[in-house]
Amino acid sequence: MQVFLQTLIGGVTFGAVYALVAMGFSIVYRTMGLVNFAHGSVVMIGAYAASTFYMASKLPFAVAVVVAIAVTALIGLVIERFLRPLENKDFTLMLIGTIGFGAVLEAGAVLVWGATGHAVPSPVATGPIDVAGIRIPTYSLLVIAVAAAATGLLALFLQRTKRGAAMQAAAMDHQAATAVGIHVGRSNAMAFAIGAGLAALAGSLIGPMLYVNPTMGGTLGIKGFAAAMLGGFGSMPGAIVGGLAFGLLDSFAAGNFQEYSELVTFLVFALIVMIRPTGIFGEATVNRA
Amino acid sequence: MHFTRFSIAAAALIALAACAPPGQQAESGATATGPIKIANVNAQSGQLSSLGQWEHKGVKLAIEEANKAGGVNGRQIQLDLFDSQGDPTVGTNVARKISAEGYIAMLGTAESAVTLAMAPILKDAKIPNITSGQSPKLAELKSPFLFLNAPTSVTFDETLAKYLVDDKGMKKIALISNNGAYGAGEHDAFLNSLKTRNITPSADEIVTPDQKDFNSNLAKIREQDPEVLFIGAEEVQSGLIAKQARELGIKAVFAGGAPVGTDVYATTAGLDNAEGTIVSSPYLSNEATPEIKEFAAKYKAAYNEEARMHVAKAYDGASILIEALKQTNAEGGQKLADAIRGVKRAGLLGTYNYDANGVGIHETKIGLVKDGKVVPEAAS
Repeated sequence: MQVFLQTLIGGVTFGAVYALVAMGFSIVYRTMGLVNFAHGSVVMIGAYAASTFYMASKLPFAVAVVVAIAVTALIGLVIERFLRPLENKDFTLMLIGTIGFGAVLEAGAVLVWGATGHAVPSPVATGPIDVAGIRIPTYSLLVIAVAAAATGLLALFLQRTKRGAAMQAAAMDHQAATAVGIHVGRSNAMAFAIGAGLAALAGSLIGPMLYVNPTMGGTLGIKGFAAAMLGGFGSMPGAIVGGLAFGLLDSFAAGNFQEYSELVTFLVFALIVMIRPTGIFGEATVNRA
Repeated sequence: MHFTRFSIAAAALIALAACAPPGQQAESGATATGPIKIANVNAQSGQLSSLGQWEHKGVKLAIEEANKAGGVNGRQIQLDLFDSQGDPTVGTNVARKISAEGYIAMLGTAESAVTLAMAPILKDAKIPNITSGQSPKLAELKSPFLFLNAPTSVTFDETLAKYLVDDKGMKKIALISNNGAYGAGEHDAFLNSLKTRNITPSADEIVTPDQKDFNSNLAKIREQDPEVLFIGAEEVQSGLIAKQARELGIKAVFAGGAPVGTDVYATTAGLDNAEGTIVSSPYLSNEATPEIKEFAAKYKAAYNEEARMHVAKAYDGASILIEALKQTNAEGGQKLADAIRGVKRAGLLGTYNYDANGVGIHETKIGLVKDGKVVPEAAS
C-alpha cells in the first residue's frame, strides 16, 4: 500500500507538469489546428530562463518564473509572426516551420548557456511531509498547486473574458469570426503566447526536479504531446486529465515493468488511442489542413 | 560522343579505385611529412556532453604539449573534434567519416554504447581507438584495435563489493541501475561480485535511461531498509536517484562507480544528499601524487577549471597514443595497435599494462564524497 501511494505521488507530480505541457500544445492546436513541434524546446527555454534568473540574478523563484513566462511568451509571438503569412495557405510548411524553430531554439540554448546544463536547487527549503510513512516532497505540493492555479486561471480567461471568447470563436469558425470583426491573426498570436507561457511554467517547475540542459525538451515534449493526444487533442480538460493519466501510467509502469516500463507506457497509450482515436475527451476540433 | 563520356567516367572510376585509403599508405610512413590526423570523438551536445567536453579538453592538452615539444618525430599532430551527441547512430556515421578521411587513430568516446557501435567499423578500417567507455562488453569484443583507458566495470565493482562487504561487513545491499550500456554493465558486474560473496541483494530495481521519476522503484527499496544503495547510472540520473531517495527517507549510504564521484552528481543530488557517497574510481583527487598535482595545475592554467577523472583518463589515453605513434613513426593500422598494446606507462589513473582484451588498468581505489568533492577513503 505504501509503495502504491508513493508511486501515486510521483505520478501526480510529473503528471501535473505533463498537463501544463499538454495544455500548451492544445491551446495552439485548438486555435490554429496546428501541432507546434517547437513546444518541447520552448519548455526547455523556459526552464533555462527561470533557473538563470533564479540562480544568477538571485531573483525570488516566483519572480524568476514570471520573467521566464514573459520571455517565452515573446518567443511564442515571434514564432506566430513568422508563420502568419502561411496561414490558410500551406499547412505542411507551417508544421515544418515549427520543427525548424525547435531546432533553432535548441541551438540558441547551446550558444547562450553551453551544452552541459546545470542543476537547480529547490526553491522550497522545507523537507518532505510524512503522512503515515508516505513522504510527500513539499516541492511536489507546490508544483501541483501552481499547475492547478494556472489551469483555473486559463479556464477563467477562456470562458469569462471577451478576448477568451473571441479566441474560442476564432477556433470554431475563423471565417465567421472574421466576419464579426475578430482579428484572427491577433487571436492566434495570443494562443501562441499563452501556449509558450504555459511551456515556460512547466519548464520552470520541472527545473529543480530534474537537470536543466538543452535536450531536456525532447522527452518532455513527447510526453506532453502524448498526454494531449490521450486526453483529446485541443481539449483543455482533456489536456489536464491526459497529463495526469500519462504521469500515473509512467510511474506505475516504472515500478511494475522495470526496464520495459517505457514500452508498456506507450503500448497502453497506443491501445487507448486505437480504441478511442479522439482521446478521452474526444471533441471535434478545428482542422484547417 | 557517348563513348568519350563513358571513357572519361571509366577513367575517373579507375583513378578513384587506384587511390589507397588515406592514412594507410599515402599519408603515413617514414616518408610522409604532413600533419598526423587524429580524431577525437565525444558528445559535445546532449545530456552526456559534460563528459565529452572534459574528455576533449584532456586530449587537447596532451596533444598541444606534444606538438609544442616538436610533435611526433618532427611531424605535428592534427586533432579534429567530432560530436557524437552521445548517440550510437551518430557515432557510426562519424566512424565511417573518419575512416574515409584518413584519420589514423581515434580518441574517445566517453560512452560505452557509442564506442560499442563504432568498434566494428573501426576494426575493419584498422583504426586503433582508445576509449573512455568502461562497459565489460567492450573488453568482450576482443577487438585488436580497441583499447580502454580505464578499468571495466568489473574492476570498479569488485573493488566496491570488497570494500562494502569484506571490509565494512555490510550485507543488506539494494541495487538500482539503468538498462543502458553503462548501467547494464555496472549492474551485472556488481551483482556478480555480490554473488561470489554469497550475498543476494535485498532489492534489484532496473530503470530506463530516460526515466525521471523513481518514486515507485525507491518506495520498494525503502521497504527493505538496506544499508547500502548501489547506483548504476550516469551522472545526472545518479544524482536524481540520490535526491529522490533521500526525499523518500531512504537512509542507506549510496555507492557507485566514477559517475557518483563527479560534481554533476553532487549538485544534481544536492550536496547534503550526496554527502558520504562511496565511490570506486582509479582517480580520486587532484592532490594524490606530485604528478597528478602538476597535471591538475597545468589543466587549471589552460582551462581555468578543476581537473577530474574524465580529463585525466583522456589525457592518459592521448599520451599513450603519442608514445605509440613515436614508436611506429606515425604509421597507423596494425603496427600502431601493436605499439599501443606494448606501451607501459605510469599514468595519472595508474600503471597501464594492456591485456589481450585491450584493458590497460586493473585496479581502482575507494573514495568518499565530502562537500561535493571526493576524498580518498583512508584520509577521511
